Amino acid sequence: MTRTTQITMLVVLLALLSLFYQGLWGDPRHIPPVLVGTRAPVFEGPDVESGEPLSSEQYKGKVILVNFWASWCQECKVEHENLLRLYDEFKDHPEFVMVGINYQDEIPKARAYLQRYGSSFPHMQDVKGALAIDFGVYGVPETFVIDKQGIIRHKWIGPIVDNVYTNLTKNVLTPLLSDPTPAT
Amino acid sequence: MFRFVPILICLCVVFLAPGLAKVVDETEIDQKVREIAKTLRCTVCQTENIWESGAPLAHQMREAVRERVIQGQSTEEIRAYFHSRYGDYIMMEPPKQGVNWLIWLTPFLLLFGGGALLWREVKGWVTRTPPSQPPPALDEASRRRIERELQQDKRE
Repeated sequence: MTRTTQITMLVVLLALLSLFYQGLWGDPRHIPPVLVGTRAPVFEGPDVESGEPLSSEQYKGKVILVNFWASWCQECKVEHENLLRLYDEFKDHPEFVMVGINYQDEIPKARAYLQRYGSSFPHMQDVKGALAIDFGVYGVPETFVIDKQGIIRHKWIGPIVDNVYTNLTKNVLTPLLSDPTPAT
Repeated sequence: MFRFVPILICLCVVFLAPGLAKVVDETEIDQKVREIAKTLRCTVCQTENIWESGAPLAHQMREAVRERVIQGQSTEEIRAYFHSRYGDYIMMEPPKQGVNWLIWLTPFLLLFGGGALLWREVKGWVTRTPPSQPPPALDEASRRRIERELQQDKRE
């Protein structure tokens, strides 16, 4: 076996080992968020509590935080208090909107959930999960941030707790709300 | 005579049952939904397509496929919609483009590369091995001794 062949084999082996390493020690739950950086889908549906129609069109030109949740989801209960705190923190900003999307739930149960844990921002029904598929949702809770131009800027799979909360408010929402670029 | 009645009833049941079975009529829409759903991965399952998965999300996705088929969208349009929402991950077969070519070609490259290397090495061994020498000729004394011993064996 020549020296060149030996070196080639070593390079191939190292390349394969690095791929295995990535596969074994990478986070299997990490899925590249393909929708980040693309235009957010239009979403509309009845309000969970009042039944009145809600549409993303009415929030056009604002920074929208969209949170997918369900009454049967345990992790949603974990983050719910933080969502209320987050809304309180930003609600006075004229360009901030927060919408919950109730994913594949029974409406009476969703209403009971909101009554029990509190509700300060509107929640849209997505009984069939069609909105969730439009947003490429894997499960609940999932949170998206849409900028004033209607582009999805951030996606988080899992509850908004601890560092996730800090990152979302300090590094995502605050810069987007202070962005002087006019809305389209 | 009457003892054959139960046997006759059994035979009737066996032969008539298939004819009485409910005919499941799979419409063209069902067929197309099945074909498309089998190419899309259930995103919350392990290597299962949305047609075979029992997960609620897979059920919703099947319904979304059905709605789009009814709307008249083509297979490619429907697959493109799901791809735009979930990326390559949703495809049971990774699209043959970009870095995905690695997945498709690496096994064949390794197979052919390994085969070529093995062939070259085996050929080298064969070339380097000296040809086997014929055994030395039997001398006359030894030949006579062997013949004598064979004769003795026959006599015994």
